[in-house]
Amino acid sequence: MPATHHVFRAQLTSARRREGFIFFLFGAATYFVLLCGAVVIGTIVVRGAGTVFQARAPFINTTFFTEAPESLHVFQYQGRKMELGDAAFRTFEAAHPDVAKGKSDSYVYSAGGIFPCIVGTVLLVVGSMAIALTLGVCAAIYLNEYARDGTFIRFVRLAILNLAGVPSIVFGLFGFGMFVIFFGWNVSLLAGWFTLAFMVLPVIITASEESLKAVPKGFREGSLALGATKWQTIIKNVLPYALPGILTSSILGIARVAGETAPIMFTAAYVVRDKLPWQVDKFSDFFFQGVMALPYHIYVVSSKIPQNEYTERVQYGTAFVFLLIVALIATASIVLRNRLRNRYKW
Amino acid sequence: MEASSPASHLLVNKSRIRLFGLSFDDCIRVFFGGNAIVSIIVLALITYFLFREGAGFFGQNRQNLTVYRQAGLEYIDFIRAQQDDHTALTRYLSDLRLRQFRHYTQEAKLPVADANAKLAVFDDFAGQFGDTVEPIRTLVSDLTEQASAIKEKFTVMEDKKEERRQLMAEGRKGDADRVIITPVNFAEELKPIIGTLPAYKEASAEFSRRIEQVLATAPVLPTPELQVRMDRFKQLTREYLSGFPAVVSHLESWDYAKPVPAVQALTSFIFGREWLTASFWQDWYGVIPLLVGSLMVSAVALLLAVPLGVGAAIYVNQIATPAEQKFIKPGIEFISAIPSVVLGFFGIAVLGQALRALSQASWLSWVPGFPYSERLNILTAGCLLALMAVPTIFTLAEDALNNVPRAFKEASFALGATRLQTVIKIIVPASLSGIISAVLLGLGRVIGETMVVLLCAGNRIAIPDFSAGLAVVTQPVHTMTGIIAQEMGEVVQGSIHYRALFVVGILLFFLSLGINYVAQIVVRRYRISIG
Repeated sequence: MPATHHVFRAQLTSARRREGFIFFLFGAATYFVLLCGAVVIGTIVVRGAGTVFQARAPFINTTFFTEAPESLHVFQYQGRKMELGDAAFRTFEAAHPDVAKGKSDSYVYSAGGIFPCIVGTVLLVVGSMAIALTLGVCAAIYLNEYARDGTFIRFVRLAILNLAGVPSIVFGLFGFGMFVIFFGWNVSLLAGWFTLAFMVLPVIITASEESLKAVPKGFREGSLALGATKWQTIIKNVLPYALPGILTSSILGIARVAGETAPIMFTAAYVVRDKLPWQVDKFSDFFFQGVMALPYHIYVVSSKIPQNEYTERVQYGTAFVFLLIVALIATASIVLRNRLRNRYKW
Repeated sequence: MEASSPASHLLVNKSRIRLFGLSFDDCIRVFFGGNAIVSIIVLALITYFLFREGAGFFGQNRQNLTVYRQAGLEYIDFIRAQQDDHTALTRYLSDLRLRQFRHYTQEAKLPVADANAKLAVFDDFAGQFGDTVEPIRTLVSDLTEQASAIKEKFTVMEDKKEERRQLMAEGRKGDADRVIITPVNFAEELKPIIGTLPAYKEASAEFSRRIEQVLATAPVLPTPELQVRMDRFKQLTREYLSGFPAVVSHLESWDYAKPVPAVQALTSFIFGREWLTASFWQDWYGVIPLLVGSLMVSAVALLLAVPLGVGAAIYVNQIATPAEQKFIKPGIEFISAIPSVVLGFFGIAVLGQALRALSQASWLSWVPGFPYSERLNILTAGCLLALMAVPTIFTLAEDALNNVPRAFKEASFALGATRLQTVIKIIVPASLSGIISAVLLGLGRVIGETMVVLLCAGNRIAIPDFSAGLAVVTQPVHTMTGIIAQEMGEVVQGSIHYRALFVVGILLFFLSLGINYVAQIVVRRYRISIG
């Protein structure tokens, strides 16, 4: 052994070299996954940014956010290439009758914006989360505060666990069979709300229960010792401390509700609808109308229309906006959760 | 003492409001309990409504199969199968021609014209072989028309019956009586079809004689390797010819009145190898192509996701520095937040083309199945689903690794094991049940995923050709989730097709429940007790 080698110094044996190599592979796997995610997000952000942002003030493509989808007409006029949305094309055609003679290509949904889709998605998320939170928080309170272990509770927990594993398309079928057909609600907001709410219920229950568990036992015991009833204890001394946790964890549920397409395909989503949701005759009609939704719109524009330089804009643009919304929700959830962990320390 | 008792009672029991004999607190308890039951109720409702819409399928499918038999379609399909097998043989010949052509142009370096000239004898042979089927083909096309007419009559009768039933239901008996229903006498209608049996026997004999003649003139191929294929072809043809008597006996023993057993309505769904709808001839609802498609896509996804997910979990849990952990974990969680429809769009817009371009690179031509031409296939969908499954597997596997007590690790180190040995021999085995259940839950997520497969799996309803070996992953498939999403919007409510989609949903539902159940069993039963 050469003198420079200290007895306790790590030696580069073959075992150690193998260890280094295998650990490198594990690391490579990790970073490869992150890289894949980055590539997906990066591609959509870079190519979608072209649609969403513009070089002139106000730097954001406001038409894209405030108008409904239209067909795009591409044609040659007096040697120039023109691209006009449907409405603009009609007025242009009226002003220049000779346009009709020339060849014109049209691409559906490729002009205008995605305003109705954004509105529809917001409505779907708000309604279904309201239902899911009510049901989910109450269920969690029962499971954590009232229930004692027994056959019944085992069944409930088993049901929650299994419900979490049901494919989203099965929820769609169920919602279609129950709300759309059996209840006769047709394709409507209400049907979509309940379908999505039931889908996200397990997530909410689990998250709420965890937050309730995090409230120390002493809070309850102190309250009970002072003579408060169980209900008073829960409402005054448990829920207020658990609520921030419940809400932040539930944000992840929002991301799921906003992102799912399969459950709303036959229960709530329309391919295209001219009226905005608040343009209804009667108030009750509001609940029984279908809406356009962002995820479904992405499905439609990516599968039903051909891919070329004109349609690409709306495809990437919609995907970018959608991704942005979902990413904001997810980030908010992660950040808030971390902050909450630091704030409440019992 | 007696006087103070009501007062103390008042002090202790503050809530005396009673509803249905329950105190206020009890009511609240019941209310919360009711909410807890919701998940059980929802599961029950899902089951109920899937069956409510789907159960009618089996009756309708039996009816469908009965009509198939009674209208004589089944009879004709025996002959048609014979014709189709012949087509398969001619396809074998054209494949053989392609191989010869390649041999002449690439190995013998002949110009295209010369190669074609050399193939003239073979082409003549192949052409003659193709023509041999002519007598059978004429017969089949005649019979097809006749049987279609019978089926059409039957459909009209059913429609009229339905019309009368509806009129009766509306109470318009007079109108109902005026609906004329012409009953279909299958025995009579089928006579001309069955009457063609002697003609068929003649045609079949002629057919087989012609094949024998043509086969005798088979040319000798240039290389031994190709000659082997030619011999194989001859053997296949002889086997094909030896199957003729069986067809005849099928036809002779065929009876339109033989009832279709009830169980066949189920077996033709579960083991059916064809999913064919809106066909002019006969609709088939066999789930096998869809099931195989779902399983193939999931298999590819898991094959990619398990090493990546578990590897990443081990890395983050055992090897990474705290600073690395801090950004890797949220990063992977972030991937799980990417909506599936966005991933599907990415597959259509970018990944499909990128993978195809990669497959056409010359330095990768050794990979089985490369280069391929279908942009959307099992591989594309599998890659994207893998990205969806990795976060699930990662998070759960990391939890499982985290639950291994420190003492295990320390004891291993104390005995002089290296870090690698500790990870491979101690930590991973101790958390294996958790890791396996993580993989199973990942599988559950992948098999139930809809949008990615709908957009990227290629949507061709056919069992992929497994004879291609590993290259099978470059073929397009359709999946159970995809077919529901694609066809549900277009079907007539209450039709057999509509109900068939619900039955696919039932299968999917119980498949996912099963996977979930196994995952729970694995966790419970194989957990190494820590204590």
